Amino acid sequence: MVVDAAATVGIDIPVYCYHQALGPLGACRICLVEIEKMPKLMTACTTAATDGMVVHTQSQAAEKGRRGILEFLLINHPLDCPICDKGGECFLQDYVFQYGAGQARFEEAKIQRHKEYPVSPYILVDQERCVLCQRCVRFMGEYVGEEELLMDGRGVHTVITNVPGIPLTSPFSGNVIDLCPVGALLSEPYHYRARPWNIEREDTYCSQCPVGCSSSVTGRDGQVVRLEGRPTPGQWGWLCDHGRFTYDFGAHPTRLTEARLDGEPVTVGRAAQVLGQRLAAVVREHGPDAVAVLTGGSHTVEDHYALRRFADEVLGGSRAGLVKPVEADLPLALLGTFAELDQSDTVLLLGTDPYESAPVVHLALRENVRRRGLVVKALGDRHLLRDTLAGEEWVVEPGGMAAALAAATAGVSEHPDARLAAEGLAPADESLVRLGQALMEPGALTVLWDGREQDLAPALVALARARGEHPTRVLPTFGPRNWLAAARVGIPTDYETSRRILMDAADGRIQVLLLWGADPVRDFPDGDLAARALERCPEVYFGGVFPPDGAELLAGVLPTAAWAEEAGTYVNMEGRLQTGRGAASAPGQARPTRNILQAVARAYGTPLRKLDEWDPYEGTVDDRLVLPPLEGSVRPVSPPPAAESGFRLISGLEVALTHDPSEVAARTKEDRPARMHPADLADLGLLTGSGPVELSSGDRSFRVGVRGDPRIPRGRVFVPRGLRGVPINRLGGIAVAVRAVEEVASR
Amino acid sequence: MKTLDRHYLLRHRDVPGIDTLQGYEADGGYSGLKKALAEFEPDAIVDLVKASGLRGRGGAGFPTGLKWSFLAKDGRPRALVVNADEGEPGTFKDRELIEHNPHQLIEGMLIASYATRSPESFIYIRGEFLHGHEVLQRAIAEATERGYLGDRVLGTDFSHHMYLYRGAGAYICGEESALLESLEGRRGNPRLKPPFPAVAGVYGLPTVVNNVETIANLPPLILNGAEWHRQWGTEKSPGLKVMSVSGHVTRPGNYEVPLDATLRELVEMAGGVRTGHQVKAVIPGGSSMPLLPAGQLDTPIDYESLVQAGSMLGSGGCIVMDDSTCIVAAVARVVRFYRDESCGKCTPCREGTYWMTDVLDRLEGGQGELGDLDTLLDVADNINGKAFCPLGDASVGFMVSAIRNFRDEFVEHITGRTCPLGARLYDTVNY
Ligand SMILES: Cc1cc2nc3c(=O)[nH]c(=O)nc-3n(C[C@H](O)[C@H](O)[C@H](O)COP(=O)(O)O)c2cc1C
Ligand code: SF4
Ligand code: SF4
Ligand code: SF4
Ligand code: FES
Repeated sequence: MVVDAAATVGIDIPVYCYHQALGPLGACRICLVEIEKMPKLMTACTTAATDGMVVHTQSQAAEKGRRGILEFLLINHPLDCPICDKGGECFLQDYVFQYGAGQARFEEAKIQRHKEYPVSPYILVDQERCVLCQRCVRFMGEYVGEEELLMDGRGVHTVITNVPGIPLTSPFSGNVIDLCPVGALLSEPYHYRARPWNIEREDTYCSQCPVGCSSSVTGRDGQVVRLEGRPTPGQWGWLCDHGRFTYDFGAHPTRLTEARLDGEPVTVGRAAQVLGQRLAAVVREHGPDAVAVLTGGSHTVEDHYALRRFADEVLGGSRAGLVKPVEADLPLALLGTFAELDQSDTVLLLGTDPYESAPVVHLALRENVRRRGLVVKALGDRHLLRDTLAGEEWVVEPGGMAAALAAATAGVSEHPDARLAAEGLAPADESLVRLGQALMEPGALTVLWDGREQDLAPALVALARARGEHPTRVLPTFGPRNWLAAARVGIPTDYETSRRILMDAADGRIQVLLLWGADPVRDFPDGDLAARALERCPEVYFGGVFPPDGAELLAGVLPTAAWAEEAGTYVNMEGRLQTGRGAASAPGQARPTRNILQAVARAYGTPLRKLDEWDPYEGTVDDRLVLPPLEGSVRPVSPPPAAESGFRLISGLEVALTHDPSEVAARTKEDRPARMHPADLADLGLLTGSGPVELSSGDRSFRVGVRGDPRIPRGRVFVPRGLRGVPINRLGGIAVAVRAVEEVASR
Repeated sequence: MKTLDRHYLLRHRDVPGIDTLQGYEADGGYSGLKKALAEFEPDAIVDLVKASGLRGRGGAGFPTGLKWSFLAKDGRPRALVVNADEGEPGTFKDRELIEHNPHQLIEGMLIASYATRSPESFIYIRGEFLHGHEVLQRAIAEATERGYLGDRVLGTDFSHHMYLYRGAGAYICGEESALLESLEGRRGNPRLKPPFPAVAGVYGLPTVVNNVETIANLPPLILNGAEWHRQWGTEKSPGLKVMSVSGHVTRPGNYEVPLDATLRELVEMAGGVRTGHQVKAVIPGGSSMPLLPAGQLDTPIDYESLVQAGSMLGSGGCIVMDDSTCIVAAVARVVRFYRDESCGKCTPCREGTYWMTDVLDRLEGGQGELGDLDTLLDVADNINGKAFCPLGDASVGFMVSAIRNFRDEFVEHITGRTCPLGARLYDTVNY
């Protein structure tokens, strides 16, 4: 289009309705230009640029046309600039200033409409300020496919609104605030909070899931008050609402802001000193193996680097590991990128629904479906596809994904590794052969995987080898957000390393366990082991932002600075390094990890040298981790567990539930996190379609709110992992009893 | 102007009872379809229509055969959509054709569908045409029963299904792409072109959209041939046209005339203006077109002559205004119509019609200022050619021509602070 061609040579043509992701519409007419040999002015956003075309953006006719459109936009626009949240960041102000007439001619009455009208708990619409560019309506209806905003009324009475009585619930709805070129769609939590001249607005990346969407963080008076999407080359700048509205987590009441020793508040300096001395004494007496460090994968790369050097150089070679909520290990050689996803001929959702686990990747998939007709495949223990992301899916028994994948591959490939992985498994039936055929299609394959089922790792390696020269890439949708930072600095990220550390702690072989942002009791797949480790290890210290489960067992707590409180580097699920800047200050005594570790090191007697001279990007290629080659042997995949009576427990990861504690995002937080088929709920007597249930297995049980979801197969109960108070990792088996219980009135 | 021996479109005027299948068949009805199926390959009909010079009667006058030949040839099924939305103020010809001669429309649609190889067709009928809707429903049922519609029409390989859809009362839904949006169940806003309907029309299929009258021309055309059609009108505008004559004439109504009739002849056919009055101005083609003052009454109504005279044939809604007409009130009323009917998609039409309406209301009520006229013309200039669809342009044509031709009358409203003719648009009816 002419606008895009002009932009490539640095000529700015104003637009409202045009957005490359949405395609041309031609509604607002602000982009009128004069094109030689065309009888009238043309809209630059709907006219394809052709060779030899001569376009004038500043001719008399073009300027008059544009001025006329701006004048029209203003006749019913209120004089709100001084009180408008967008004042100073508004394209109507900007364009009128740049291209508009100095004087208004309209003297008639302006139409009055709804102002500050809530279309969702997060979004207000000011219909008077709307320029009816339809970006918001088209984004929701066409791009996302969730038609939650609409145009009501006709002609000059047209307004943007929600379906009467039905607020927006899409997790992508917040993007319309960014898309709105004027102050018509407003963030309710940001409403009247700040003006462009009294904020810090810095480039960053979202901290809430491993997609790591590029964003801008707004700070005011040391606090984060807003997060916006930030387009970068090749990325539209979408965010999901879980990320967008969790920006206030640093100020959450449960945030750690003071250091503690044995439960008593102390200064950070004092806590660091005691920890340093204790560590020195333990290492002196028992050697470095008596200390271990577990990271939770949320701190920055720089912090992980400091942690790694602390373990190596100060403690003299203590073990370090990563606590993640899934049991399987991704062969890093297979790590893919979003650009590869956009080029892939086949995409497989493996156990994961990206709408829940990596929301903005769902949007990327949907765009691929819309733009080039991609047909998504899914293999899972529940239905993973959606109306907005149709495709073909295979639903298998709980715990049976690895066996299905291995059998499917072996069903169509003679490769020895494919055979080996499927050894001892039942041969693929017709349906699995079809899956195998789909996965063996030539061209590129990208797999989205949530890291459940340990045996999926060898099954994926076998598939990649069987596919030979055709690229096979995996994008891990599991968290924690920055687990690849551990990989970047050489901290082992595999399940076995952390399991060993926890076993040794539980068996009394570790004297001091240092948890850095790690919450093993809540997150580690074997929750009992983690709990035993915390109980039996003589001294457990914790550095981080929120207290972990079992905080009462801690010997000491050190509050660290969080995202947006300092500049720092993150690694997203593509293995891409992303440096975000700070826009707020750490509250209370919270300090950057590096400073705390340095203080501990000094107290230990071995200060860390040249900590700040390290460059996280050093040795990376295109800002991405350098991946190891695919090596190692494939082992046979175990057959799926035998069917038992009762319900079967299945799980997954949901950003909507596992994001950091946030008062803003709490507005829409689901309090019935478990899901079952509606017919099963009815059988349990939960005729309203939701309610509390008790899940039990052996002598273990817990209560959880459950709601109906037809995408969960009958006889299964889906419970997300990593939720506080929902200890799914302590139930043991996958066979559970489910029983409806009385609602406990909350005080 | 050659006089007509009989009506070819308003056939019911000569033959009573033609609105039933029996009556229509008795007058030779559906023999055009039979001839088409028996003697013509589809493409030969397209060639015949091209040769006849038939042009669309919905407003734009686009050559019908040429439009059909633009249909995408990629093997997808095609569709025919008949525009029966007839919303243009001053136009009521499609309504008469539908209510009194429905089978000629259905027969024409079958011929057009056979020619364009469309297995399905749709009639989008204006919501207010309740009676027309009932008539068509009955006529379609009759035709289906008799085997003109359905699988294997009259035992041939040609199968055809026809659907009738009622609009909900928006003028913009007469614009073909807004019509398609509405037909598909969405808000009736015009679509971005390209793609044109011939490539992606209803439900994305290659689609022909034709006006009711255009289609009603087909049965006589098939029976009588291209030369027969060309005996009327001019070289570039051949054929017959149903003109809706309204306003200050003593016998308002539809008149089927050759396309070289003059405006004066039309006014005379309609009984002329009331005694003691003179024609002041005529809008030849519906309220979207500029007016022509009485001095231009001898202009023939063919497409080219009217354009040369400064107006357009449009849909053939000829509105006659005599010397009792307050032109300011007329303009205020017409512009208000476009304000109410603007779909709201594009800025200039949506906001500009609102602005002009407010200024015109003030002016008409004697509250105008001299600067208002320049403002109105400049606002019109900022709409004209800059809106998304032709409705924007349509909203200003009449006003601009009125200010040009009758500027004094506008000035008198301003300086005299009232209407010199004593007219007042909104003192009884409160809109
Ligand atoms: C605002 C607007 C309203 C229109 N209304 C009608 C209408 O009511 N009926 C009609 O046949 N064509 C109408 N048209 C013209 C159609 O867009 C289209 O050109 C016509 O239906 C094509 O048929 P034809 O080629 O047989 O004339 C309208 C066009 C515009 C821009
Ligand atoms: S939307 Fe823009 S122009 Fe309108 S009031 Fe807000 S800042 Fe001002
Ligand atoms: S609310 Fe904003 S984005 Fe939506 S149509 Fe209005 S101006 Fe455009
Ligand atoms: S000119 Fe614009 S607002 Fe008017 S009807 Fe057409 S698209 Fe709608
Ligand atoms: S940006 Fe071109 S018409 Fe809106």
